[in-house]
Amino acid sequence: MAKPKSTMRRKETMYGYIFVMPWIIGFLAFTAGPLLFSLFASFTNYNITSQMDFVGAENYQGLFTEDGLFWTSLWNTLYYVLFSVPLTTMGAIFLSALLNQDVPGIRVFRTLYYLPAVLSGVGVYLLWMQLLDPGTGMINLILGWVGIDGPNWLFDPAWTKPSLIFMKLWSVGGAMLLYLASMQGVSKTLYEAAAIDGANTFRQFFHITLPMITPVIFFDVVTSLIGGFQIFQEAYVMSSNGEGGPANSLLFYNLYMWRQAFENFNMGYAMAMSWILFIIVFILTMINLKLAPRWVHYEGGDNR
Amino acid sequence: MKKLYTIPAAFLASSLFLTGCAGFQTGNSNDSSTENEDGKVVLDFWTFWGSEIRRPVIEKIISDFNESQDEIEVQHTYLPWGDIWTKELAAIAAGDPPDVVINDINTTALRGEQNQAMNLAEFLSEDDISGQFYPELWDATLYEGDSYGIPFNTDTRVLFYNKDAFEEAGLDPEQPPTTWTELEEYAAKLDVKNGDDYERIGFYPLWGINYDVWMLNANGHNFINEENEVLIDTETNLETLEWLKGWKDKYGDDVINSYKAQIDSQQGNPFFNGSLGMYVSAPTFYTQIRDYADDLNFGVAKLPEMEPGNGHTSWGGGFVAEIPAGAANPEASYEFIKYLTGAEAQEYWAVQNFDNVANIEAAENAAQSDEFTEDGTMVYSMATEYMSDTLLTPVPVSAPDFMGSVNPKIDEVFLGSKTPKQALEEAQADVESLVEKNTGE
Repeated sequence: MAKPKSTMRRKETMYGYIFVMPWIIGFLAFTAGPLLFSLFASFTNYNITSQMDFVGAENYQGLFTEDGLFWTSLWNTLYYVLFSVPLTTMGAIFLSALLNQDVPGIRVFRTLYYLPAVLSGVGVYLLWMQLLDPGTGMINLILGWVGIDGPNWLFDPAWTKPSLIFMKLWSVGGAMLLYLASMQGVSKTLYEAAAIDGANTFRQFFHITLPMITPVIFFDVVTSLIGGFQIFQEAYVMSSNGEGGPANSLLFYNLYMWRQAFENFNMGYAMAMSWILFIIVFILTMINLKLAPRWVHYEGGDNR
Repeated sequence: MKKLYTIPAAFLASSLFLTGCAGFQTGNSNDSSTENEDGKVVLDFWTFWGSEIRRPVIEKIISDFNESQDEIEVQHTYLPWGDIWTKELAAIAAGDPPDVVINDINTTALRGEQNQAMNLAEFLSEDDISGQFYPELWDATLYEGDSYGIPFNTDTRVLFYNKDAFEEAGLDPEQPPTTWTELEEYAAKLDVKNGDDYERIGFYPLWGINYDVWMLNANGHNFINEENEVLIDTETNLETLEWLKGWKDKYGDDVINSYKAQIDSQQGNPFFNGSLGMYVSAPTFYTQIRDYADDLNFGVAKLPEMEPGNGHTSWGGGFVAEIPAGAANPEASYEFIKYLTGAEAQEYWAVQNFDNVANIEAAENAAQSDEFTEDGTMVYSMATEYMSDTLLTPVPVSAPDFMGSVNPKIDEVFLGSKTPKQALEEAQADVESLVEKNTGE
């Protein structure tokens, strides 16, 4: 009995590898190579065209000890991640809980709330620049109706990052769809049983819905954390000259890295920056993975 | 059971095949494009001029060149503004760059230093064409004395003013302000205030241009000089910054922001309907007046000087045509660049686009062109004359992005969180350490 089982296993393993082969080949050819190259070049003064001399840890040392803008950009990015990840996650869950109700016309609402996620890129940023315009924008106009003197949004360093987070909240539809799908998969019998035991809607939400969708929450938190650290376009488009102003309040990590790479041609320096970011994101993701078993609930068994 | 193998195997085979192809392609593409079937050398010319106005003009120049001789065939590749130079850089690194590319004049020396652009000294020593161009533009293309790009077009900043509004305010419409003091006086006379709102604003110096242009106007030199000395925290700059802050305080954030939004919307520029008396912009702003406010009675003048005798220095930019390092046929590329920056092509470009060009003869001919209207001729000839007072700001090789350390400090002055003195001192220190970091060991 034992022998056929093991050949079966081996075959399955092989199938598995064969199926993931396109990805592995792609990874080795297009990702691993550049990745290793950038690790190596981060220890050089590489400038793409004329020089590539080994300089040891000089780039890293310079970043940590001499470069104030490095810290500014890191702080801006952390601020953004710290607020945008929890807020968009909660926003998406809240929205999907609302849209999970059985009311007439719910499909229309689902479509409406999903629509912003379909729009993407520069068009949306330009739209928001108009909406957020302090003098003529719609947001301050509406705030004015209820007696609030709206802030200067993208012109006030204290409000630039909140503006972007606000904009991100508008497009939580993408994550909402995942939560919605997952909520619809929660067995009705659980709610019925809870209702018989006398649990009200809130308790049902916190004790049934939330635990049942934790795998999706986990996925969303991990991906949006990584995405959050990569914020670039928003600042590039929405600050004047793409410089990250006013007062460097939108100078995000990747924007500063881009500037070093493609304006100063300090490619080695920029590569060192990218490795620091990689390590930060890697550590945070590992922490996430380690913490996951404590709060993520997987149905159907062995906790994996 | 056997069948199951076929799908993954096919997958594997096809993916190997695909990656294989990609691996072989890169080596070959270089040779295929240099010569066509007629035996002509084929050049790939990259520009970002894709608009319905500019594209036909540049393509006409290219086809004129192609017809003028039978050795070289130039092909135009349009790349969007946001992509062109990063793509060029990647192409240079890959060893297969375009043959001629249009690039920013102010960073030409940097590309020379980095060996991204080809040193043109070899061609110029045989056939020196430097005298055809405005010296300020030519100098901006030099790195260690050698040119790395030939100037193509340029611009400057001029003061547009509303003559009708001048008359209404009791000012002479033929006497625009010539000093900063006059500018302030005239602006105050032109202001029309209705309660808390302005019906007309006389002038605000930071619409259309930035603080650095005023500093250039005041002191006539760049922030970093050729000896890598940092000249940011100077008496003149301090005075300029305080002067600018005074304007900001005079009109206040709300007024400035709402006007700014209208200016950014282009068609709604308050200068068009008379609710802004004076406005600084590039000469091409005239084409907007022509298109959106044809009846406007306006004049153009040099930027006022800080104090009498100080000079009406203005600021300009522009673009060069250059040969990326590693281009396959530099001689042919240079032939084309010579045509592109020659008087004939330049004049055509100037007239069709209402754009200032680098070639002096072409610029002067264009100023006489019958194709311009009376207003057009007035703006164009004024701008051409003004080129002698127009300075460029080539980025210093020692600290290409130093403005990234200055701008945020100045932002804070206008936001009220730093005094002009503090901001300039901090910017000076930051840029000094940046220069030191990049030049010293």
